[in-house]
Amino acid sequence: MSSTDPFVKVTPEPGAPKPDPIVVAHGVKRQFGGLTAVDVAHFEVQRHAITALIGPNGAGKSTFFNLLTGFDSPQSGEWTFNGHSLAGVPSAKVARTGMVRTFQLTKALNRMTVIENMRLGATDQVGENFFAALVPGLWRQREADITAQAHELLERFKLYDKRNDFAGSLSGGQRKLLEMARALMSKPELIMLDEPMAGVNPVLTESLLDHIVELKAEGVTVLFVEHDMHMVRRISDWVVVMAQGKVIAEGPPTSVMANPAVQDAYLGAHHDTDLPEEL
Amino acid sequence: MTIERRTVVRAVLVFVVAALAVTLFSAMTAQGATVSDSAVSSDISMTTTTVDIDPPDDAASEPAPTSYSGSNRFLQSIVNGLVFGLLLALASVGLSLIYGTTGLSNFAHGEQVSFGAVLTYFFATQQPVSLPMIPVSFVIGMPLVPAALLAIAVAGALGWVQDRYLWSRLRKRRVGLVQQMIVSIGLSLAILNFIQWWVGGRRLRLTPDIDPRYQLGPVYLGEQTLISTGIAIACLLGVGFFLTQTRRGRATRAVSDNPSLAAASGIKVDSIVRLVWVMAASLAAVGGILLALYENGTAFDAGARLLLLMFAAVTLGGLGHPFGALVGSMVIGLVTEVSTVWLAPDLKYAVALGILILVLLVRPQGILGRAERVG
Amino acid sequence: MDIFIDALGETFAPTTAAFALAAIGLNFHYGMTGLLNMGHAGFMLLGMYGFAISTQRGAPIWLALIVAMVVAVLFGLLLGWPTLKLRGDYLAIVTIAAAEMIRFLGRSQSLQGLTGASTGIRGNDYKYTFEALSPFPDERITVGWFTYHGTLSSSWWLRVVAWVMVLAFALLFWRLSKSPWGRVLKGIREDEDAVRSLGKNVYWYKMQALVLGGVIGALGGILWALGNAVQPDSMGRPTTFWIWTLLLLGGAATVFGPVLGSVLFWTSLVVVKRVAGVLVPDSWMTQSELEPFSLVLVGITLMCLVVFRPQGILGDRREQAINV
Ligand SMILES: Nc1ncnc2c1ncn2[C@@H]1O[C@H](COP(=O)(O)OP(=O)(O)OP(=O)(O)O)[C@@H](O)[C@H]1O
Ligand SMILES: [Mg+2]
Repeated sequence: MSSTDPFVKVTPEPGAPKPDPIVVAHGVKRQFGGLTAVDVAHFEVQRHAITALIGPNGAGKSTFFNLLTGFDSPQSGEWTFNGHSLAGVPSAKVARTGMVRTFQLTKALNRMTVIENMRLGATDQVGENFFAALVPGLWRQREADITAQAHELLERFKLYDKRNDFAGSLSGGQRKLLEMARALMSKPELIMLDEPMAGVNPVLTESLLDHIVELKAEGVTVLFVEHDMHMVRRISDWVVVMAQGKVIAEGPPTSVMANPAVQDAYLGAHHDTDLPEEL
Repeated sequence: MTIERRTVVRAVLVFVVAALAVTLFSAMTAQGATVSDSAVSSDISMTTTTVDIDPPDDAASEPAPTSYSGSNRFLQSIVNGLVFGLLLALASVGLSLIYGTTGLSNFAHGEQVSFGAVLTYFFATQQPVSLPMIPVSFVIGMPLVPAALLAIAVAGALGWVQDRYLWSRLRKRRVGLVQQMIVSIGLSLAILNFIQWWVGGRRLRLTPDIDPRYQLGPVYLGEQTLISTGIAIACLLGVGFFLTQTRRGRATRAVSDNPSLAAASGIKVDSIVRLVWVMAASLAAVGGILLALYENGTAFDAGARLLLLMFAAVTLGGLGHPFGALVGSMVIGLVTEVSTVWLAPDLKYAVALGILILVLLVRPQGILGRAERVG
Repeated sequence: MDIFIDALGETFAPTTAAFALAAIGLNFHYGMTGLLNMGHAGFMLLGMYGFAISTQRGAPIWLALIVAMVVAVLFGLLLGWPTLKLRGDYLAIVTIAAAEMIRFLGRSQSLQGLTGASTGIRGNDYKYTFEALSPFPDERITVGWFTYHGTLSSSWWLRVVAWVMVLAFALLFWRLSKSPWGRVLKGIREDEDAVRSLGKNVYWYKMQALVLGGVIGALGGILWALGNAVQPDSMGRPTTFWIWTLLLLGGAATVFGPVLGSVLFWTSLVVVKRVAGVLVPDSWMTQSELEPFSLVLVGITLMCLVVFRPQGILGDRREQAINV
């Protein structure tokens, strides 16, 4: 993988600037009634790296994902993807610019088959236009390509045998996998995974971690939310910690947990997070 | 609760366009407005249906006599609007409570309103009445008040039965909300036609008395209207007291807020929902009876016609928010009645719909509602 | 025997075809996209007004058809605009309200000159352009047990055209539901946020579905009006609910569900009415009580269908096992 670590010159502090940021957010603030769910002063994601976003429950991680991807809009703030401002851009357009996300609560399309779920993730299918849809000749070829691509991904995610089953009949973990595979169908530049491994069995988790690292090798940038520190330490290049809506710490996975602010945040919120070995 | 500037601008734009359109339209129609009350709708052919009889053409259903002198019309319509809003609130609070606690948009709620009124007629009228399929007619002829109380009790019992034997089972079977909504549509169709089969399509008067009218300052009010208003206010205060001051009421609000959290904190969600159904059904019956008095009569489809306004009111106030239903109903009541000062009465409902669309554009979660979370 | 022939005649009556066509439209809404359009009768009514009024003003048949479809498109856009960004119930509430509005306006005295108010528009005022195209002789024709006029009103000509249209639109449904476009709509039916996260413009797709289904509904309305007359009160809320019932009966999201549903719905309605008319003594149920009685049955059927066989007759049994 990358011979030189892009993070060597980055100071491990909240909102640290990165050498080659793909996402930059500034002053993003979201309130629900009186509760400030997200209040991020500055936040950058390094291109071609795996960044983990961690924090206690209710820290605002999912809400921040929603804001960045246009599923929710903040009261104030600016953020860019590849230098283009995304404030006020609808979620579908955000996805089309190459920034694709998955959801914490899985959103499999239950009454569609696994393979149809996958095909839906693909881009550039002219048959998705109403008039083109009437003329199969226009989209048959693309459909075959998409299907081949889908089969490949399904193999990788151990879902190939399930391809003709309804997604609703899959187990919870399998649905997570399907959602992730579906997001990859569009060959995104940045993939944002909200707790991708929650409920996936350990053996499969291992092989998936390898896939995520492979993605990085293929040039995809990964931003993911995860509570499992083992996983975070194994694959991430950089860790961002949120608590009560704010970014309270950043740093390499090996040292960030030693930061007193992080320990306060976790111990203040929950005494039973899997921190102890870190301390 | 901040509202974005963009949405406000959009709303103002819509409002201006709508106002222009309505003004134009009313100017056009004012020329050809030779109102003749010829209700021609009695086809019994198979495909045409007489189920929904249009309110605007029905002179008897117009509560506000239009013969007042011009200067008082505005005040009079405000008073009428307030009264109508209160009665509407009575009917729609239950709709909102049911939505809040179960997530169901109950399309059969209108039939609960008609049921209360028709049942009161059944008990109170001096005319011979009968039951469907039973070829015997008889006169019950109870005095109005006991008849109404009995009707409310029966309606409440029907609410209990509905939840016990239908809705709670559907919830247990995990039937989706959309499916439940379609079930409620089926139920509404069944009850509506059952009532028509039972009492026919005529207009029914609960009491033969002529309502004495009083003049209060510049406005006129009927005695029955005054009493109805009093009862409505008392009932609404009662609901408010229940929701804010009693343990079960607070539990109800907790269930509305977040059913799974409420269940996790030891609230018996099912029994709360059962209670809500009984309350909703009886309140709807009260609303139906009072409206029948206020409008000098009722019909098998009185509630069905009201359903649109109830939904508008509930959506306006914020779906599932019981106090929102009150606010929404007052707004709808006032706006529909006041609009009759300038617009033809047939456009009353159009105005309510216009407001609904406007609110959906600006503040989809309603006046008091909250946005939902994604992901 | 009479009942049998009547019921058999009902299977291919113009009304049956008109409702089948309208239900195909609703199938694009609900079956494919999951849109809760509770005002389908409004689309039908607008379609027939558009057709009849423009014909009355001298428009040739193709222009009248275009007018009807344009009106339906506009109505769909107007309804979709505020509601398609919101949760499904809002569309249900707004469509049911808007459809009633169309009916109120249609029967309002102030529009008498245009819509004929509550009396509606007589068939003779707008059927001639369609009847002029008939290749059949201008007389009553008997085929087997059935005798209908060749060209006039509820004729053989109308029957042929109506069923050809039903088949054509069923074919369209089949083609689209098997296409990537249909796939996006089905995805929206399942979870629109997921589809949004995959980069599809959900609002726009829902709008397309709403408008397309509405236009088909309007064409269904025209077929209905060609067999009957333009009558606002026949397109009230119950009509919408019948279409829902027959769609769910046949099987939503299936190609032939709407057709089968419509055939079963109308024949059983005839059978129920005739049998009840024969068996139940007049003192128990008068002829005029038969109508509400059969509608009570329709309501109960709708409830039972949704609860016990949500996938309808033709639906996929595997789908039912999945909790949505
Ligand atoms: N739509 C909403 N309305 C009101 N409050 C909300 C809404 N969405 C999120 N919140 C609140 O915002 C805060 C942050 O929630 P969020 O889901 O972003 O946390 P999180 O960091 O993803 O937590 P977890 O690790 O448990 O997933 C929480 O207190 C939550 O209750
Ligand atoms: Mg989260």
